Amino acid sequence: MSMAKPNLEAREKILAKLRGRELVNCFQCIKCTSGCTALKLLELKPHEIIKLVNLGFVDELPSSDIIWTCVTCLKCVQRCPQKASPYHVIMALRNIAVEKEAKVPEGYLKAVSQILETGLIETPKKIVTRKMETVDRDCLKLPKINPPKENFQAVFTKTMEEK
Amino acid sequence: MTRIGVYVCHCGLNIAGVVDVEKVAEYAKGLPDVVVAKHYTYMCSEPGQHMIQDDIEAQNLDRIVIATCSPRMHEETFRRAVAEAGLNPYLTEIVNLREHVSWAHTHEPEKATEKAKALVRMGVAHARLLEPLEKRKVSVEKGVLVVGGGIAGIQTSLDLADAGFKVHLVEKSPSIGGRMSQLDKTFPTLDCSACILTPKMVDVAKHPNITLLTNAEVTNVKGFVGNYEASILKNPTYVDAEKCVGCELCTKVCPVKVPDRFNENLTEKRAISIYSTQAVPKIATINPDYCLRLKYNKGVCGKCQDACEAKAIDFEQKPETVQVKVGGIVLAVGSEVFNASKMVELGYGRFKNVISSIEFERISDASGPTGGKIVSPKDGKTPKTIAFIQCVGSRDKRFHDYCCRVGCMVTLKQAILAREKIHENVRIYVCYVDLRAFGKGYDEFYRSARDKDIDFIAGLPSEIHSAQDGSLCFDVYDKGTSKLLEVHPDLVVLGTGLVPNNDLGNISALFHASRSADGFLLEAHPKLRPLETAMGGVFLAGACQGPKDIPDTVAQASGAAAKAIDLLSSGEIELEPLKAVVDKDSCSGCRICESICPFVAVEMKPEVVDGNERFRAEVIEAMCQGCGLCSSACPTGAIKIQQYSSRQVLTQVQAALTETCTEGGK
Repeated sequence: MSMAKPNLEAREKILAKLRGRELVNCFQCIKCTSGCTALKLLELKPHEIIKLVNLGFVDELPSSDIIWTCVTCLKCVQRCPQKASPYHVIMALRNIAVEKEAKVPEGYLKAVSQILETGLIETPKKIVTRKMETVDRDCLKLPKINPPKENFQAVFTKTMEEK
Repeated sequence: MTRIGVYVCHCGLNIAGVVDVEKVAEYAKGLPDVVVAKHYTYMCSEPGQHMIQDDIEAQNLDRIVIATCSPRMHEETFRRAVAEAGLNPYLTEIVNLREHVSWAHTHEPEKATEKAKALVRMGVAHARLLEPLEKRKVSVEKGVLVVGGGIAGIQTSLDLADAGFKVHLVEKSPSIGGRMSQLDKTFPTLDCSACILTPKMVDVAKHPNITLLTNAEVTNVKGFVGNYEASILKNPTYVDAEKCVGCELCTKVCPVKVPDRFNENLTEKRAISIYSTQAVPKIATINPDYCLRLKYNKGVCGKCQDACEAKAIDFEQKPETVQVKVGGIVLAVGSEVFNASKMVELGYGRFKNVISSIEFERISDASGPTGGKIVSPKDGKTPKTIAFIQCVGSRDKRFHDYCCRVGCMVTLKQAILAREKIHENVRIYVCYVDLRAFGKGYDEFYRSARDKDIDFIAGLPSEIHSAQDGSLCFDVYDKGTSKLLEVHPDLVVLGTGLVPNNDLGNISALFHASRSADGFLLEAHPKLRPLETAMGGVFLAGACQGPKDIPDTVAQASGAAAKAIDLLSSGEIELEPLKAVVDKDSCSGCRICESICPFVAVEMKPEVVDGNERFRAEVIEAMCQGCGLCSSACPTGAIKIQQYSSRQVLTQVQAALTETCTEGGK
């Protein structure tokens, strides 16, 4: 096994994004990982990410796929006894990944551009009812969904930017 | 003519490592009225003290300035040394060169030296105006009020009573014994709690020096150290304590069921009942919230009255207030167990087989609801899998930041009890964060738990949910193996922490005992005065000062008793003379001092002047701690602290501002 080297400069960058060390003030109780929605399918271990940031082993994190597996259910934020919030650390890492122009999963980019264009996370789809009829919004007489207003994109992009 | 001696202490390198002590001493020689100025490695040592004493005699000194550590450290030491040399000890002035200079300005030695000179200059200016003061003595009451009848209150009371002091022990429940009486076995020796506690409870009841007041609470406290007067309200029990023999005939006929508090509401008892099988005093009490006769009207029920052969039932009993005079007070009001239903994700309150550690104690206890058989409260069956979950409500910023200090050991003990009682037929998991086994014999106890095939999982579950078949289920990730486990326990025991009593706010207000950030009662000093409150003569014992296990509680309780004995044994106490004094002629009777005094030491006394009644502030010397709040708030300057009058303080300010040259203050 090769020796791990901490990168304290990169660590400071992450901490700066977190605005306060409380967010990495973790005592490894593992509650986050035990309850992580993304753990069973995608092997996300929030406690490990926090510890890696804490010790400064952060070089690989922004370019790793693992930070994109968080489904942002926020269970870890709610239940963390130390208010260490792995979610916020993961978000900081994602922002750094974007800054570094590291590889961002395609599905993620797709979702963002779809929201930008339509204002919706999911586009309306046709569904099959219990009576095996295929229906869409029109035949259910649901109101039409209008495209987002002009300034939506500007507001959306602005909120995605970091404060 | 004033003759001042100045002594600069090196404190090893604590001061001399930063401050140029030689220069400071040299500088002091040039200050007005300074006859001698010396520096020495350790002024507080015997040669240091002798140096001062010899100079007092040889140089005829009448004021001493010692530039050293904080006065909290050695002011008493130096005063004593000065007094031995025949000088009034209050003619000593301490200048703090350690905490205020060398430790605060480690990296700026030159500026630190200048600051040290300025402080010495101020000290000399103040010393010139010091007045000789005498300690005063007041007589004390030789009784002690002990509040709370748990193991802390019991131990304190017995120690005090054995030493010949009269003790008034006040307990709000119908029986003494407290939390310890609810426990099954105790760690780390596994001796049964009742076996070691009950004899002590009986000793309390029998001791000629102890007046036991159960069902009672303190409602008012007046007075000051050595001379307190407390009002104790005795709530009616509706049973004549003199007549009741504890036969329990009444409980057999009472038709009203009431949750049993002693058994953590796991079972029910009757509206008239005896608190527990080991209760002291063993007397029935009626719960007026449930009793039909007391709750509704005089005509109904009364079955207990008919059944009682001793004619002890008295529905007409009224609350009664008792006044006691005591010299000291020991607060031993204990703590409560964290209410785990606040931590919703663990399902306490929703799932019947998720229980708290104190409920487990009752289930495991031979005198408990199951006769000591460990079963799940959900179905009454012996569990095949038990999971213990640690740090519930403790070390958690959402609830309590502190470590509960007992949870780990309680869980180890309960896991061992489960293994011993259910043998190999149970799988036992302990989910923990850090396992703390810090006391004497505790790590050996942890070791013995590991020998008993208990699965320790380094990690906590995020939530407990119910599986499709209605059984409990949780996922937990183990740090050591990096594996995710799915556990299906039949019984979950939550390691609930200890939290401050609900009525600790009232108690703190009643006894003027402050609380620390964690909500528990605050000791006068975390290391050096752990048994006292800031209020003179009010002591602390047990978990009301912070979470504690039994050995620590008993140690602190004996310590508090010793402190009270130390205070009261001579029959009188010496009081520091640095107190507030009132110039009656300038007092306008505005009451500002009375309202801000944190020690309730100011009283307004009526006085008749030219036929008109007017009020004047008067300081109760025994209660005044000399904090100076009144003096700075007084609009007419009528109230001042001895040695810190406006003139004495302003002279120091002047000295601080006017002399900045290194030439000295001529």
